[in-house]
Amino acid sequence: MFSRRKFLKAGFLGSIIFISNGCGAFSATTPKETLTLLQEDLFPHANTMGINTKKYMQIILKHSRVSDEDKEFIKNGVKWLNEDAVLLFDTTYVKLPYTKRQEVLKNISKTKWGKGFIRDNLTYIMEASFCDPVYGVANGQGWEWLDFKVGLPQPKEAYL
Amino acid sequence: MIYDVCIIGSGAGGSPIAYELSNAGFDVVVLEKGKYYKEEDFSKDEIAVSRRNKFTPDLKDEKHIINEIAQDGSISRYDGYEYSWSFWNGSMVGGSSNLMSGYFHRLKPNDFKLKSVYGEIDGANVVDWPISYDELEPYYEKVERVVGVSGKIKKHKFLEPRSTTEFPYVKLEENGVTAWFDKACEELGFESFATPRAILPGDALNRKGCSYSNFCGSFACATGAKGGARAALLQKCDAKIISEAFVYKLYSDDVSVKKAYYYDKDKNSHTIEAKIFVLAAQAIESSRLLLNSANKHFPNGLANSNKQVGKNLIFSAGGSGEGRFDFKDLDIKQQKSLMQTGLFFNRSLQNDYEFESGGKKYKGGTTDFLFEHQNLLPRVTREFYDDEGDIIWGDELRDKIHKSITSSRRLSFEVFNDWLPTDRCFVSVDDKEKDMYGVHVGVINLYGHPHDLEVGEHLAQKAVDILEKMGTRDINYSISSSPPSNLVAGGCRFGDDPKTSVLDKNCKAHELNNLYVTDASFMPTGGSVPYTWTIYANSFRVAEIIKKELS
Repeated sequence: MFSRRKFLKAGFLGSIIFISNGCGAFSATTPKETLTLLQEDLFPHANTMGINTKKYMQIILKHSRVSDEDKEFIKNGVKWLNEDAVLLFDTTYVKLPYTKRQEVLKNISKTKWGKGFIRDNLTYIMEASFCDPVYGVANGQGWEWLDFKVGLPQPKEAYL
Repeated sequence: MIYDVCIIGSGAGGSPIAYELSNAGFDVVVLEKGKYYKEEDFSKDEIAVSRRNKFTPDLKDEKHIINEIAQDGSISRYDGYEYSWSFWNGSMVGGSSNLMSGYFHRLKPNDFKLKSVYGEIDGANVVDWPISYDELEPYYEKVERVVGVSGKIKKHKFLEPRSTTEFPYVKLEENGVTAWFDKACEELGFESFATPRAILPGDALNRKGCSYSNFCGSFACATGAKGGARAALLQKCDAKIISEAFVYKLYSDDVSVKKAYYYDKDKNSHTIEAKIFVLAAQAIESSRLLLNSANKHFPNGLANSNKQVGKNLIFSAGGSGEGRFDFKDLDIKQQKSLMQTGLFFNRSLQNDYEFESGGKKYKGGTTDFLFEHQNLLPRVTREFYDDEGDIIWGDELRDKIHKSITSSRRLSFEVFNDWLPTDRCFVSVDDKEKDMYGVHVGVINLYGHPHDLEVGEHLAQKAVDILEKMGTRDINYSISSSPPSNLVAGGCRFGDDPKTSVLDKNCKAHELNNLYVTDASFMPTGGSVPYTWTIYANSFRVAEIIKKELS
């Protein structure tokens, strides 16, 4: 399932993806708006804490030590999530109200790819929430929330 | 220039040679594949070190092929890159000793004569070592002084004989929960003791003492307190260190090694000539280099006419487990004690280093106890699932994470017992797959003897008894044949018989008069402790031998 389709590589976050409902009708969205809303749905507390998860995903998609397969899975997952939204409710994920988006998430969480996609997104959200301020996406809010004592010395520069 | 000694690999196996020989006035060069980091380069960046694997090679550039051999003999082949299965530890000057936890235990006298004391085991190639504990003891003691080992000697029934009465450095400061542990052990009739650590508790040896940073294992030490090979030895000698130098071939005639060929970071090839070559590139990679250095004199690979190079690869058998302290079982004072960070737990149990079952004497092992690693992400991501194993998100996940991290803490244990050497567990070289240098990659053929699981299970049960006595919840453990990639040895075992061993008792190749192997490759059996102290001690022993030879 993970490798059932390839997806556009260039300019991924800002690109347009077209989703067919199988009857010739198309919907369109961008990966950026899908991922932004998805991550808000999965862990709204990151936004409450002021964590810049959008910037962190940009870091991940360009990171030299995140494998091409993992990056590809994020990209494919965005497309598959929207396909499932169209199949269930005839429109893309971002156009659905909160309760229906939750239904889509529950639906995909029963599949192998969907469970993996949610897990990966949550993992990146947690990385963003608890990474050092040097990465430019958090400022210790996550550590404070969990009363976590950071290890010293802290890094002088981000590892990208 | 012809160096006196060329050392390949700068970890615990190579550095004592560099330290001793260069301080004795010999010209020594060390070739290290990784970069040269120093204390000022290190931080506790969990993302870089633990999530993005900053200190190990990218598997798309350098990988292994893994053949997992089941009990029925069937083989499953895994491409290390495709399956993200890494056997790299620390690719940097000082090697993985930079990243070790520094849990230091000596082998016991019986570990040197496993076959004589405990007898043969079907399907295992158990042998006695060609040296005794008494021959290595002075070097264990030397490591205590030179590298720096801290602890407190407590007499117990398997305490090994010592030439000194106490460690040269006092034990590290401990978390208050250790008192609960000691009490539980006492009630159970177990003899717990403070785990010796290769960590300086205060400034000494021209290094700074431990800063109790709360992050130790898996992270390089920013103070130099941890006795890694770079901080303890290489930075205290004038051996020439060439970093980012990947040795891909040793050139020999029929009696001696003449040159080491290496690629620099730009993949330009260079050669080093020396009178003596010391190979210490980590057990798997040392065998790989010998096999990849085949020539007309040694068509099976260097020092491999008897086809023993790569054979009898071993890991540390055993596994790990944990129990969870929950605030609701503790009073306020106990809760505070539990959540103290920075201080070490440091408790070990060797109550069953040898045990009897069914009238038979068994070799057992060591169990080390420690708090779960302070890295946040494994502790947070573990909460992604509910009791049914379904993934959760949103406020439900938020509350679950917060409760787990702020009102509970897990005490872990790690079991170390012998991984029996067998014909099925060995290193070979793949005839097709190559790394980024164009060099054939190593193949790790994995097989765990069923006996290893029985012993591990016995030891784990004792650890569970302690966790139950302490009142922890959700106790679980796993004993398996999964190899810990940071506890690997064998492949070039030493012995008196040139037909069945690669090295002689001095760790010199039987077939070549100037090639020594001093990483954990030499070990014919592993003992039931982490290997680093023994690797250091043996390397100091071999350094004396080489010094005499050069003199």
